[in-house]
Amino acid sequence: MQWLQAFLNGLLVGGVYALIASGMALIFGVMRLVNFAHGAFLMLGTYLSFYGWTLLGLNPYLAFPLWGAVLFAVAVGTYWLLVRRVMGANDFLQILLTEGISLALIGLAQLVFGADYRQINLPIANRITSLGPLHFSVGYILSFAVSLALVIALQQFLSRTEMGRAIRAVAQNRTVAPLMGIRVERVSAITFGLGIACAGVAGALLLPVFWTNPTVGGPYTLKSFVIVVLGGMGSVQGAALGGLLLGVAEQFTAYTWADRYAEVVNFVIFLAVLLFRPQGLFGGK
Amino acid sequence: MRRLPSWWPTVLFFAAVTSMPLWMHDGYVLQLVFRVIVFAVLGIAWNFVGGYAGQLSLGHVAYFGIGAYAMTLSTERIGWSPWFGVVLGAVLAAVMALLIGGVTFRLRGPYFTLSTIAAAEIIRVLVQNQDELTHGAVGTNAPLLFQAPDLDAKFFYGAMPLLGGAFALASWIHGSRFGYRLRAIRENENTAMAVGVNPAVDKLLALLPSAMVTALAGSIYASYFSFVGPDTVLTLEISVQAALIAMLGGAATVWGPILGSIVLTLTAEIFKTYFEHTHLVVYGLLLIVVVIFLPGGVISLFQRRWKFRREAGPIGAQQ
Repeated sequence: MQWLQAFLNGLLVGGVYALIASGMALIFGVMRLVNFAHGAFLMLGTYLSFYGWTLLGLNPYLAFPLWGAVLFAVAVGTYWLLVRRVMGANDFLQILLTEGISLALIGLAQLVFGADYRQINLPIANRITSLGPLHFSVGYILSFAVSLALVIALQQFLSRTEMGRAIRAVAQNRTVAPLMGIRVERVSAITFGLGIACAGVAGALLLPVFWTNPTVGGPYTLKSFVIVVLGGMGSVQGAALGGLLLGVAEQFTAYTWADRYAEVVNFVIFLAVLLFRPQGLFGGK
Repeated sequence: MRRLPSWWPTVLFFAAVTSMPLWMHDGYVLQLVFRVIVFAVLGIAWNFVGGYAGQLSLGHVAYFGIGAYAMTLSTERIGWSPWFGVVLGAVLAAVMALLIGGVTFRLRGPYFTLSTIAAAEIIRVLVQNQDELTHGAVGTNAPLLFQAPDLDAKFFYGAMPLLGGAFALASWIHGSRFGYRLRAIRENENTAMAVGVNPAVDKLLALLPSAMVTALAGSIYASYFSFVGPDTVLTLEISVQAALIAMLGGAATVWGPILGSIVLTLTAEIFKTYFEHTHLVVYGLLLIVVVIFLPGGVISLFQRRWKFRREAGPIGAQQ
């Protein structure tokens, strides 16, 4: 029965991973930009969630759209101010720029919020529910449900709306898209905003079941790379599946081997997929 | 007027820096300059791979950490002199470079960068969790390479040959056929192959000295601060620092990393006296500024002036 528990725990964690990685996949797919600042924006989301709860009493499970909107605005600003200038430059400069943004955000967070670990005590998130011999944290279930709903909403947005069509067009061909009357700059800004908002909302949802400090995001940047590679670079559906898969893989490693090696397994999977199946596990090509 | 020979600034620079402990007795300043030297070495070593060959490695901390840990653990477990540990570290780093490079150099662009981070992280997590061998996450004391008194001056003289060696190696690469092959790989790997360059071999040949020099820097750094731990000698931050120093000064230039290290270390130090926890903000902002406004690095400011004065430079001297 324990393996089933590990599997289901993995799915619950993986749901949040799916949301984070969908954001990164969207940014990569549309802008060809590897966003090294993804985890830093997730960290901002956790702090918004933290101060929203402690200062304003806003429950993260209800206030997450607000935090998503704030991060969307911050990201669009960052795009216009900085990221725009390296679009079309080589990936060398893009990586250095986003890494610079990441360090600056982490450093600012240390200055403004301090380096301490912070946690909130949300009664509903700490409850445990049982299904026969299986036990689940209500907080994880809620985070999972909201994340998955958002991933599905994002996919519907991309496939159903006019803006979604424009985004997909830019992803397909950046040169031809403007000839079809698409404003590529605007689409890029919105894409960057949406992708970052995914990370930020995921951070807001993680806070009740986790903790935060300014460097909390680092592992998530790396995890979302792993997932995006697993799912096929740039595919949002692939990233969602990859997120669930990585969550399960981590929990199984923790269950069969040791908790602390889960990270190593991540990276081994990552290198193996890149070397032997670079189109991703679900890629068709 | 006869022009001075082109090597005079180099000689002047090294003479001035080497003589420093003779006339500078302030331990704080010597410590600061020691850090500038070690990080300049790190930047120079990174430059072989990141600057000349254009392969954005963010995993160089792996070699730095191997150097630091090899020195510490061999001294502690086998009872050798730490100097043997330093050599062992460089050898182990070379072996790891072949392993890591063999895998990661098959990838290009962002995939390469990510795989170097992954390799370094794998090493960090393994070190962190092999408590019996490595003392795990808490770390341990590193042995001293020199004995008191005058530790500051001795470490200073220990680091200078490393800087001189790295600088000489960089100067050689800069003007050699090997250096031009690396630049060809940076500009376009496929075209380089078409003109007979073997990128797989040359990239590894660039990584080998790069990893070994980085490991040496790691050993002396750990010994100076007499501590090794996964959070100090195996963090992503050091990899970023190596890249930032080279880029800030000027990638694929001989003097760039030295300039970069001076600028970065001093800026971080100045801000540190005003606020706590500022070094990350400083690194981040400097990275952003360099990428957007000064992709040629600080050195490009001087180069532009020199070019203006001399009018005609060699063809291809501009970026």
